[in-house]
Amino acid sequence: MAHQAHAYHMVDPSPWPLTGAVAALLVTSGTAIWFHFNSTILMTLGTMLLLLTMYQWWRDIIREGTFQGHHTPPVQKGLRYGMILFITSEVFFFLGFFWAFYHSSLAPTPDLGGCWPPAGITTLDPFEVPLLNTAVLLASGVTVTWAHHSIMEGDRKPAIQSLALTILLGFYFTFLQGLEYFEAPFTIADGVYGSTFFVATGFHGLHVIIGSTFLAVCLLRQIQYHFTSEHHFGFEAAAWYWHFVDVVWLFLYISIYWWGS
Amino acid sequence: MAARLLFRGALRAATTCRAAPVPALTRGMAAGGIPTDEEQATGMERIIMKAMQEGSDPYSMMKPKEYAGSKADPHLVPSITNKRIVGCVCEEDNTAVVWFWLHQGEPQRCPSCGSHYQLVAHELPH
Repeated sequence: MAHQAHAYHMVDPSPWPLTGAVAALLVTSGTAIWFHFNSTILMTLGTMLLLLTMYQWWRDIIREGTFQGHHTPPVQKGLRYGMILFITSEVFFFLGFFWAFYHSSLAPTPDLGGCWPPAGITTLDPFEVPLLNTAVLLASGVTVTWAHHSIMEGDRKPAIQSLALTILLGFYFTFLQGLEYFEAPFTIADGVYGSTFFVATGFHGLHVIIGSTFLAVCLLRQIQYHFTSEHHFGFEAAAWYWHFVDVVWLFLYISIYWWGS
Repeated sequence: MAARLLFRGALRAATTCRAAPVPALTRGMAAGGIPTDEEQATGMERIIMKAMQEGSDPYSMMKPKEYAGSKADPHLVPSITNKRIVGCVCEEDNTAVVWFWLHQGEPQRCPSCGSHYQLVAHELPH
């Protein structure tokens, strides 16, 4: 075992921060190249490198924590702080888009007809698919809590089933939103209504996909016996993220779909 | 009468099984299929788990014990070598910390407030 007089984890040198930084450079500059010179090679290369970086970095964290036992109580506490701070930063990210929505909708300008929804916009009925989507996400919040309690109680089968059900509900939400996007009578180019609607709900949808992926990784880990009934922070982090995604949807539903219609 | 009750009580005390009952397998792989830390924790996490169960703190995770700092009750400073730096906050809310090396052997006194400090050997589980 390491000869240290403290309980913290001094990580071994790793190439993934560098590959991640290079990937970020390639994705951003590649996107600009695509916009101006009609070539996607740099952006695609950057995306591939980004996916490889994420896979290998998080695989290494699982190795260090689960297989090598480096995640002692103080280390786990640091990981908890980290996840909470990250989610907080995401809250501020969405706060910006809500600010934009309320800026335009509370005092609609003359070019919109001085009203909200703007003249000519047919909004989606909040009591149709959007309400179903709300029920789906709320139900997924229940199933992920069920999964957590199953893990803490040491029950393998219900843990796997409820976690799988949570992921299926996440996919169902994404599927329904996809249908809504296809069928919507307005587009992102339809003035400030379209912009605020699709940017806010679009980023939310991306976060649902990210959250579903995180939960899916947890499902694979749970099946492979990584989690113990006391120590399963990866799952808790995924569950926190999932609840955050649910709460953002509730704000979107109330503000944009319901009040804004 | 009292002697008989006392005798019966003593007999009962002498014959009760004092061994800890074998824990029923209500948790872990045998029961629900999810391992416990006891079954699966490894490495540093396991070392610390075992130490905490025994009540020891080899990696100084807990707040240090409080001592009076007098000659009779000096601050006991654990060290893995034969000297350690001590920072004395002589009075509460002092912003100037008094730093000095504490060596193995006789207790030393803080050059500012005179509190007594004594180095004690500290073993790391390797």
